[in-house]
Amino acid sequence: MLLGVGLPLVLVVAVVAALVIVKVAAGAGSPKSGPTASAAAGSVVAQVTSVPASVLNEVGVGVATTKPTKITAPALTADGEPRVVYVGAEYCPYCAAERWAMAVALSRFGTFTGLGETASSPSDVYPNTATLTFHGASYASTYLSFTAREIQSNQVVNGAYAPLDTLSAVDQALFTKYNAPPYTDSAGSIPFIDIGGRYLISGSSYSPQVLQGKTQTQIAAALADPNSAIAKAVDGTANLITAAICQITNGQPGAVCQSPGVVTATAALTA
Amino acid sequence: MPVQDPADGQRPDRAGITSLCFASLGLAISIYLTVEHYIGSTALACPENAAINCAKVTTSSWSRLGGIPVAVLGLAYFAVMTLLVLPSAWRRHLLDPVRVAGAAAGMAMVIYLLWAELFRVGAICLWCTAVHVCTLGLFVTILWHTAARSTATGHSRVKG
Repeated sequence: MLLGVGLPLVLVVAVVAALVIVKVAAGAGSPKSGPTASAAAGSVVAQVTSVPASVLNEVGVGVATTKPTKITAPALTADGEPRVVYVGAEYCPYCAAERWAMAVALSRFGTFTGLGETASSPSDVYPNTATLTFHGASYASTYLSFTAREIQSNQVVNGAYAPLDTLSAVDQALFTKYNAPPYTDSAGSIPFIDIGGRYLISGSSYSPQVLQGKTQTQIAAALADPNSAIAKAVDGTANLITAAICQITNGQPGAVCQSPGVVTATAALTA
Repeated sequence: MPVQDPADGQRPDRAGITSLCFASLGLAISIYLTVEHYIGSTALACPENAAINCAKVTTSSWSRLGGIPVAVLGLAYFAVMTLLVLPSAWRRHLLDPVRVAGAAAGMAMVIYLLWAELFRVGAICLWCTAVHVCTLGLFVTILWHTAARSTATGHSRVKG
């Protein structure tokens, strides 16, 4: 009886041990570089920064799974304007997803220049998620100030993703204090977005799965189709972010903050 | 030493009960992984570091086999195996080859998935590992119980 049980068990253990030993000998899984960031195509930027209001209104909150979290903290401002701070990284797949919605939402309050495009790490979860990058981009608005920092690229140097943007001391303190419990579920997650000291987003608001296998061009084009899964995720999240931003701009601009899609999102935010 | 034989219409021995526990636990974890797969959750309850990353495994191209999510295959596997190791099923000797074949097929799948995790995905999923341990436990207990019963039957025949 022992032979009948022992022999197959020894075989299984031997095979598993061999797999593990070979893997350990070959070295643990190391990160891999994604595509180098480049200037985003004009057509992509145009579609992302001008999603029709009718589409945003029809989508409402769409399939966004996580809402911005309301917090009690000092108002976050810059030169008297409410301030939005984004901290992410180019290799990060959740940042890749959230950036699309951030770009759609912020474009309703101001203008981006120099947006880049890249993809998340090919060796991380949701590999090669096509996205924009805020590294090197600038943003102008009469309603708010926006600071974006991509703290690491998607390029591997000496076994780790290379550092990219640096946080100012003030933003580092903000990141350390508010990107940790009790404000967020876990410390240090990215993307981290602080909306005027009133709302926080930690992680992506929808699953990056919806973007898998899509190019920037395909994603940007899908944003204008309210029935597409991508629009329901990205535009829905954008409406939630817009609703949170409207809370810090005192409802300005009215055409945006009083639009049906944002009103729906505002109700969801406060529910 | 002969073991108590469920075929005699009595209660199954400890190995039979243990196999049911492994199958039920595997079924429960498979249900969780299947639900997570279909809701596209980004919050699989799993620690995350360079070597352990559940989401990286469960969202990789290796999380499907023949177009079917591996989580669903696991769910179907453990549902069938749970039925096969119920006390009433253990009383049917005719099912012994099916049980052993199922347990062996499960172990073969575990080795394949472990290979995929280690050499293709580059990460280990703890929930998947828990399922693999259940499969191994099921494999051992089914072999043990089947072999013990064969031995007991052999003794009985010799005595008869």
